[in-house]
Amino acid sequence: MNAKILTFSSNGDKTLLEYDPATADMEEVNNVIAEYEAQTGAQPFDMATGERIEKITREHNEILMVDPIAGG
Amino acid sequence: MHCKSGGKCMAHVNLFLIAFLALIVWRLVFASLQRSRLARAIAPQQQRHDNLFEEVLHISDPGSVAVIAGNRFENSSDSSCSLGPNDRAKAYLRRVVAITNATQMGDGYVLDVGTTRFQVRDRYVRRLRYAADLKCGYEETCFYSIHEGMPKAEEIATALLQLRNNPALFDKWAVQNGQAIKADGQVFSHAH
Repeated sequence: MNAKILTFSSNGDKTLLEYDPATADMEEVNNVIAEYEAQTGAQPFDMATGERIEKITREHNEILMVDPIAGG
Repeated sequence: MHCKSGGKCMAHVNLFLIAFLALIVWRLVFASLQRSRLARAIAPQQQRHDNLFEEVLHISDPGSVAVIAGNRFENSSDSSCSLGPNDRAKAYLRRVVAITNATQMGDGYVLDVGTTRFQVRDRYVRRLRYAADLKCGYEETCFYSIHEGMPKAEEIATALLQLRNNPALFDKWAVQNGQAIKADGQVFSHAH
């Protein structure tokens, strides 16, 4: 089963990446996500537990990139 | 069936077989046309997503990452793909409510983190310091995603996830200076 990384957007949810966790280069996945975070401020959360993730591993099957929030 | 002659009987049987085969062929062609129409409808949307992501991340060779961009929806049968953005947003909100142990109350959601209770509704969040003591009063602030137009359900889901992981974010949102705060509490400065 593929793992996927998605985000919320003005058009609803959007899948950013889908990969096979058994074969994917997880370092590369984390690099891509780090770059996405730098661009958007979104940070990864595990959709199985609701916890924020510091580093994506092969055990994570569904990751939600959560956007920044502002007050005011 | 009674046949007066073998020839007439065979003709009837052949006619029936031809009609039956024609019906099967028609069904197959019709199903194939439906699939190709659906594929044509999905392809441009997929292309837009792929282009956007590659543009944002400047991926020169996505294939080398062993990553496939796609729009498939986990946990979903084919039927959920046909849901609109708002319906999918509501489905995600229900999942987030479940994993954060929040509960729906009226048009909002109640989230307990330690002794603090948050009441989250569209663009507003209220904090009660001691969940069990309603006499303690509350503080309230508004919040919004920095991405305009995000479905309301997704904004609420975002707030629930962030508050559950980092309840101190409420104080940062309450400053109300319009600064975007990341889930880890850091200020996000727009790259562009």
